[in-house]
Amino acid sequence: MTRLVVLSAGLGVPSSTTLLADRLAAAVVRRLGGEAEGRVEVERVELRRLAHPLADRLTTGFAGEELAAALEAVHGADALVAVTPVYAASYSGLFKTFVDVLDRDALEGTPVVVAATGGTPRHSMVLDHALRPLFAHLRAVVAPTGVFAATDDFGDAGLDDRVERAAGELVALLSGTATTRTRPTEDERLADPTPFEELLRRAGAGPTG
Amino acid sequence: MQLGIFSVGDVTTDPTTGRTPTEHERIRAQVAIALKAEEIGLDVVALGQHHNPPFVASAPTTTLAWIGAQTRRILLSTATTLITTTDPVRIAEDYATLQHLTGGRVDLMMGRGNTGPVYPWFGKDIREGINLAVENYALLHRLWREDVVDWQGRFRTPLQGFTATPRPLDGVAPFVWHGSIRSPEIAEQAAYYGDGFFHNHIFWPPEHAAQMVRLYRERFEHYGHGRADQAYVGLGGQFFMRKDSQAAVREFRPYFDNAPVYGHGPSLEDFTSQTPLTVGSPQQVLERTLGFREHVGDYQRQLFLVDHAGLPLKTVLEQLDLLGEILPDLRAGFAEGRPAHVPDAPTHAALVAARADQEVPA
Repeated sequence: MTRLVVLSAGLGVPSSTTLLADRLAAAVVRRLGGEAEGRVEVERVELRRLAHPLADRLTTGFAGEELAAALEAVHGADALVAVTPVYAASYSGLFKTFVDVLDRDALEGTPVVVAATGGTPRHSMVLDHALRPLFAHLRAVVAPTGVFAATDDFGDAGLDDRVERAAGELVALLSGTATTRTRPTEDERLADPTPFEELLRRAGAGPTG
Repeated sequence: MQLGIFSVGDVTTDPTTGRTPTEHERIRAQVAIALKAEEIGLDVVALGQHHNPPFVASAPTTTLAWIGAQTRRILLSTATTLITTTDPVRIAEDYATLQHLTGGRVDLMMGRGNTGPVYPWFGKDIREGINLAVENYALLHRLWREDVVDWQGRFRTPLQGFTATPRPLDGVAPFVWHGSIRSPEIAEQAAYYGDGFFHNHIFWPPEHAAQMVRLYRERFEHYGHGRADQAYVGLGGQFFMRKDSQAAVREFRPYFDNAPVYGHGPSLEDFTSQTPLTVGSPQQVLERTLGFREHVGDYQRQLFLVDHAGLPLKTVLEQLDLLGEILPDLRAGFAEGRPAHVPDAPTHAALVAARADQEVPA
């Protein structure tokens, strides 16, 4: 069972960003053999619903219930589709805020497709100049094809091709990784503490980098 | 069960009047609040340590000694002592002196401090925070227990044939709590030494405190200090009360909305449902506080933050009067159903007695 999380930072209702996210999700699910067959489980994270909880998280330092569930979903994802609208030549502030409050290692080794929407194709480099370095920082494995959809692209067959190519790359990356994640959750870390003698040894051993 | 208050000594503008107390007023207010705490019958007053504005609490033993001189009974503690950036030799000397002056009415709560620039101002590095807490406390622990110490570590100059003076009162080190919100290493450290663990869960959901306390209890038992439910647990708490709960909400809301830590964030209603903050009638504060046991089990120390967010001194003293009124019910409530094998937090007298027991030949 592959856990696919689809992250969308679209704000409109309906949203072209969420529409692109849905197309990518559908293409990935089809290649993995379908949801009904129990091969893949899709969880959608719509950041619009989390705008207030994210602001609260910034001011209080802890995530409310709904946001904590979304962060946990991303942490547990086998693969991620991440889609943002382009604002001011980059990913949106809401999208970045969600990434800001992710655990540092939440996406380590996770295959990711990056995608973005914008009013004009002249923003398409945002994929490679903003999204790709951001996910590289998180040590995610980003699929070679990113998908950018300007308004015009929703009437162009080329978009489907790119969606299919990106979905195929994501599935190929998945086959190269273990399907069960080994990153410990917060609960697991607390259940398996570092013994104090080891902490003493580390304190005396010098900087760990 | 010990009940008390803690203060971080922040100078904050009163959002309802725009007035900011002077440092002088704030330091005197901390003393007035501590004297009031003794008057209403609280067990503990704990003062923070900070070395940056807007805080005035840079010299806690000076303030605690002044309070100690004017009180007879209340236990003086810290919230917290910066074990990372304060030389453990000075901590050993300062607090042993305070023990002698106050007849042993002293314990400490260790904390790391989360303000980055404070570390380099004291020649340290915040990325070494855990290592500093581990090494510095290991030294402090020895300085209070061994008359002559030879020592070498990474964070201070070596010691050869060093004796920390004065020796602790009656040869018994002050009891130590280790405070941490989310570092399992600190819960592990507290468990290893058989010290107390304090979770200041006032800004966090109680489930989180429950996880950290569970870890500490399990490891306390692992290290052979007693059963898990005999470990020494302390919690933070926060309230604002008036006889009429609607009046409490009305009066506290502007302070909440502008508070330095959580202001301009979630609503008062959301925050009170997500964290232990209680704004309402004395009865509501009583019930909520007694409910903390559901998350952490029977515990030893409950400290409340009462002087913050720019609340004027007069209001803080009124809050303590109201706390004094529910204090008998709080004590009765905490005693109810508490198993006999669950210990109280160790006081100086108890530690002296325990040592005498150990010295009696079997």
